[in-house]
Order: sequence, then structure tokens, then C-alpha cells
Amino acid sequence: MLRESSQRSGTLDSLNLQSTVNPDADSGVPQGSLLTAFAEAAVRQTDALPGLREQIKSELGVQELVDAAGVVANFQRMVRIADGCGIPLDEFTKDATDDVRGELGIHEYASAANTA
Amino acid sequence: MTTTAATFSYADTSWPVLERTAAAHRRSWQMLAAPGEWWTGAERISIAAECRRASAMVDGLPDPGAGPATLPEAAVYAIHKLIGDLPNVTREWYDETISAEGMSDAHYIELLGVVVHVWSVDEFHRALEIELEPLPDPLPGEPTQIRPTGAKAHGSWPPTVWPDDLDERDADIYGGADRAANVRAAMSLHPDSVRWLSDLFDAHYLSWIEIQDVQEPFRVLTRPQRELVAARVSALNECFY
Repeated sequence: MLRESSQRSGTLDSLNLQSTVNPDADSGVPQGSLLTAFAEAAVRQTDALPGLREQIKSELGVQELVDAAGVVANFQRMVRIADGCGIPLDEFTKDATDDVRGELGIHEYASAANTA
Repeated sequence: MTTTAATFSYADTSWPVLERTAAAHRRSWQMLAAPGEWWTGAERISIAAECRRASAMVDGLPDPGAGPATLPEAAVYAIHKLIGDLPNVTREWYDETISAEGMSDAHYIELLGVVVHVWSVDEFHRALEIELEPLPDPLPGEPTQIRPTGAKAHGSWPPTVWPDDLDERDADIYGGADRAANVRAAMSLHPDSVRWLSDLFDAHYLSWIEIQDVQEPFRVLTRPQRELVAARVSALNECFY
């Protein structure tokens, strides 16, 4: 979805998918580093979270912060449904993302054995 | 702590939480309190309470017998596993869990539905440092024990129901779509969990219709920003799907 939405918005050339697995990588998405740092702090509940909230509020806006919190909450749910049920990859997803999964090391996740 | 009426009033917080989100959270607590197909309302509240205990534990998994007496031990362990040890959830563990005393595949899926939705609402609150909503008082009634007749093996661990196999009473769960992504169908052994999923999915992220149009942002973050956050959360959880 990230790759496809970047393609449609004309920013695919600057997109760096490594940023999804490596917090030090620049995503190429505007304010992407800030958003991924917020996501990590929210998931891990680290001490950085209050400061990142303020930074997003200042650089993006307060509604964007609430929107980002919703996306975090949503995917904290979706990953548990997927891994809790051992769902197989949808065929179109498998075909479209196999190369990227290899590059990002996602095939090495323990949950890969459940969904392959 | 429980309460009779969930307010999910965000007026006294610093954040402009949309009414559609607040309303979905209130509906979540109504669904949580009601008896399900396989668990009573009181048992569902116990599952939610254990979910909160699990999220507060540092080392993830409980000692045997440490959970509430109202739930089977395998249910308590499953709650903690799903919250605190997700990368190590395996097919073998799933098979052991649904075979344990007081459990079945349908019990597991309804439990999963309660866990993930309560967890998700709570995670929204934690991300914004909003106090957690008290759990609701359970509603009376017995589980219906109605199992979808069209549930079949489709590759996921539990049986699932594809759109063509839905019973009439569950015909709405995919919004009339003639196909459903595996993650959407994953909990279809307990159709109310699919309804609950769609409601919160829309409130927190996008609707199942909106997600198909990757060009439109629909909300305030751009689509690439939204998908980047989604991908990062998935990676942090080591989710292959």
C-alpha cells in the first residue's frame, strides 16, 4: 500500500522502503521520520512519546497527530488478527510484494512460517 | 473498575478526536459488554480486564493459574500471548489452545476479537496519553453458541466463511462484497468480530471501500504518510502479513 500510494502520488522515486524496518533510514515521505519515530514510541511506549506528540503537533498539526494515533491503534489490532489466525498472504499481495519482502528481511520474521 | 455507561468523551482532552471515532469507541464498549456466541458478557469483560493486565506486564507471559478463575487457564495464557508474545504465536500453540479445557476454535476467535478491539481502543488512548475508559458492566444473557454453517478451511488456522458461504443472518459482514481479504475474513467464525473490526477499522484508519482508492487521502494524513505509519507498526510487531 505504501509503494502503491507513493506511485499514485508521484513520489515513488524518492520512497525508501528500508525506513519501515530501519528507523535511521529516510523514507522520502514528508515528515516520514517523525511519523515512524512516533509509531515506534507509541508501540514501545517509550519516554520519547510526549516529545514526539508535541513535535507532530507543531510540524504537522494536532489533527494529523490524532490521525496518526488512529493508524497506530488500527495496526496494533490488525497484526494480532493476522498472526493470531495464521492467515495466508492474499495471492495479489504475494505476487506484488515478494521482492520487497526479501529486500527488507521480512521473510526472516518468525511469523513468516505461519503465513507462507 | 467497570461502569454502566461508556462516555468516551474527549472534550476534556487536548486532542480533537473526531466524533466518528468516539462513537465507534462507545459502540465497542456496547459490543464488549453483551454476551457473545461463546462467552458471557461477564467473561468478555474478564477477557478485557486480563488484556489490560497483559499490556502492563513487563515479561509478557503469566504464571500458570495466575489469571481470573472466571476464565479457562488456556484463555488467560492466550490473551497474554497475543498481547505480549506475538512473534512466537505458532500453529502448534494455536492447536493446543483450542484443544484445551473450556476452549474451541470458536471460543478462541471470539476471545481474539475481544482482545484486539479492546487493545486497539486502549492503544489509541495510550498514544495520546488519554486515561483508559473504565470497562463496562456486563449485560446479562447466555452465549448463543451459533456457529456459521459455511465455515470451511481456507488456509487460515481457524475455519473462515467466504462471502458465498455466508448464512442469511450474517450476509452483511462484508458489506455486500463478493470477496474479502484474508485478514478481513480471519475472524468470520465469529461474525460479530468481523462487524466490530469493520467499525473500528473505519474509525481508526479507512473504510474497506476507501482503502481501495490509494490516491485519495480521505483523512488529514496523506496516503503515503498513513501507509508508512502502518508499515512501521507492522514491522515493529514482526508481522509477515
